[in-house]
Amino acid sequence: MVRIQYATGMQRQGFVWGVFLSLLLCVLGFTIEFVSGGRGVILPSWPGNLYLLMLMLSVIIPTALLFRTNRFVQWLGGIPLGLCLIVALAVLSMFGGVLPQEQGAVAGWMERLGFNRMFSSWPFSLVMLAFLGNIGLSLVWKCVPFRFGNLQFILFHAGFWISMACGLLGSADLQRVIIPLYEGRFSSHGYLSSSKEMVEMPFRIYLEDFIMEEYPPQLALYDPETMQLELDETNTVHQVAEGLEMSWPEGVRLKVLHYLPYAMMRPSGEPVAADRKAGVPYVFVEGEVAGRGFSSWLSTGSPYEDPLFAGLGEKLLVLVPGTAKKYSSRVVIEEAGGNGVRETVVDVNAPVSVGGWKIYQMGYDENAGRWSKQSLLEGVRDPWLPIVYAGFFMMLGGNFLFFWNGMKKTKVL
Amino acid sequence: MTWIEFPFAAYGSMVLWLAGSVAGIVSVRNRSFELPAKFFLWAGTMVMTVFLLLFWIEIERPPLRTLGETRLWYATLIPLVGFLVEYRWKVKWLVYYCVALASLFLFINLLSPDVYDKALMPALQSVWFIPHVVVYLVGYVLLAASSAAAAHVLWQARGGKLYPEGSRISHILALLGFVFLTFGLVFGALWAKEAWGHYWTWDPKETWALIAWLVYLGYLHANALQVKTSTLQWYLVLGFLVLLLSWFGVNYLPSAEQSVHSYQT
Repeated sequence: MVRIQYATGMQRQGFVWGVFLSLLLCVLGFTIEFVSGGRGVILPSWPGNLYLLMLMLSVIIPTALLFRTNRFVQWLGGIPLGLCLIVALAVLSMFGGVLPQEQGAVAGWMERLGFNRMFSSWPFSLVMLAFLGNIGLSLVWKCVPFRFGNLQFILFHAGFWISMACGLLGSADLQRVIIPLYEGRFSSHGYLSSSKEMVEMPFRIYLEDFIMEEYPPQLALYDPETMQLELDETNTVHQVAEGLEMSWPEGVRLKVLHYLPYAMMRPSGEPVAADRKAGVPYVFVEGEVAGRGFSSWLSTGSPYEDPLFAGLGEKLLVLVPGTAKKYSSRVVIEEAGGNGVRETVVDVNAPVSVGGWKIYQMGYDENAGRWSKQSLLEGVRDPWLPIVYAGFFMMLGGNFLFFWNGMKKTKVL
Repeated sequence: MTWIEFPFAAYGSMVLWLAGSVAGIVSVRNRSFELPAKFFLWAGTMVMTVFLLLFWIEIERPPLRTLGETRLWYATLIPLVGFLVEYRWKVKWLVYYCVALASLFLFINLLSPDVYDKALMPALQSVWFIPHVVVYLVGYVLLAASSAAAAHVLWQARGGKLYPEGSRISHILALLGFVFLTFGLVFGALWAKEAWGHYWTWDPKETWALIAWLVYLGYLHANALQVKTSTLQWYLVLGFLVLLLSWFGVNYLPSAEQSVHSYQT
């Protein structure tokens, strides 16, 4: 009983000092931000970030091993301080999660204190650094001497430590480059997402074709006064199909009699089916508005053709182009120095790897839609990714063991 | 089955859950009501399960895109947590909290009807879509049940007597919920790398997911320090608010405009 009280007293003291250190780091961080004009932390790139990582390890590991019984060091690597730092990180993240993280989006004094880029600010970085120190010390104590029973702790905490430390330090080496491509042309340069500066890539890409599939178009009432589209009574985005019936509260009812996914208008005023490249969707609808019958051809139009719509009183019945279902780029990639030529397709959710870069399908000319001759790819180079992923998978392993051990311990399983 | 039929399924489930709850309360004095109580509670959940399955078939994509769709899953899954806890620990009260929470989320859907839309944007067409969202929903459901259990413990302890079985259940549910949150968070990071080029971009949804994770990480460490049970129960009750913010509150924050996690129609 006496021991428990003693431990609780120590714990309380540990908490008090933990709260004090967390607040101190925040105040210190905000002061640095204010004095430096809100520039935030600029991390060194390779090899500076590696040296910083090694410095962290060379402080944490010997401290943990040499001063294991020192009460101050025990507190530094203990749960009370860890808990205070977790709360501090959560609170700082809340600011970052509530306030827009961009320039000019918050009041001047908040910008100066770094509230609009919280995650590269001094207070966040200092608290994170202390948290990594805290976890690092406890990790060394759990690793030396190694016991199999500590595996779950080690995997989870080391995984978190590695992914956080390497993810944050490695962000200085992360390169994200937007690569605009035009059909029938090669491109070997891109623009840095951060500074828009043009950079030469170690490969060149030829865009053979930009391919886009759309969902079927939708019928809607357009109110020119409010510039809003109104869905039908059932609040449903109906994909157009022959036989579809729709109605609106304004007394508009209609039925789709013909649907041509790709068609062209003939001079006679009757659309005729066309190939995919040239045609646009046409529908023929018949219905009534306020008891009076109407029928009309409608089309979505395209960059080369005006849309067809029907005036129904003060509103317009329009055919809205379907949203993008799938888009991709058929490309030929040539690595510099003649290291290989390959034809491939870059798709959303399916990037391709080339010479240490990953190439993503990012966008296209949205005004042109599926007629876009332009495709926007993004090249990403992240040399720290394998080590960050190693951290993720260690966390997943530790998490699984945590689940398994926890269920056994609490007798759920 | 679409949103047009949804009110029938939702009111049907709610009426059955209410009948089950009333029968359950009566069964404390009259045990012959136990079986009808179970039947009604299960029947309400089955109605939502069948609706969800038919809705999935009708919409031709996993109904996991909009917040309204995720609330359907929530309302279907959370009573199951109550049933599992009852089965494993013979604790009956949790299921009433669970059906009350399920009804609350169905009611939100009734108040703000979702747009029925079959379209699924290219970024969501991935093998990660179902595991990432479902794992998160299971985590949310477990943590909501944990908060309900904690609230029950606090309610019972208002006379000064603490209910140890309840705090044990709230802890186990929080532990399980945290495991699922961790899987969801890491799966999300792995998917983000494939879809958007980087595993972490401090998107508001990501930030709030991290905050929710930190909150429950904090709980587990506080529990390891053997912080007072009543304090831990309060922590779990309030943790639920952060979870709600992370789930759909984030859409109403000033930072939401920047989010790439916006899939509402």
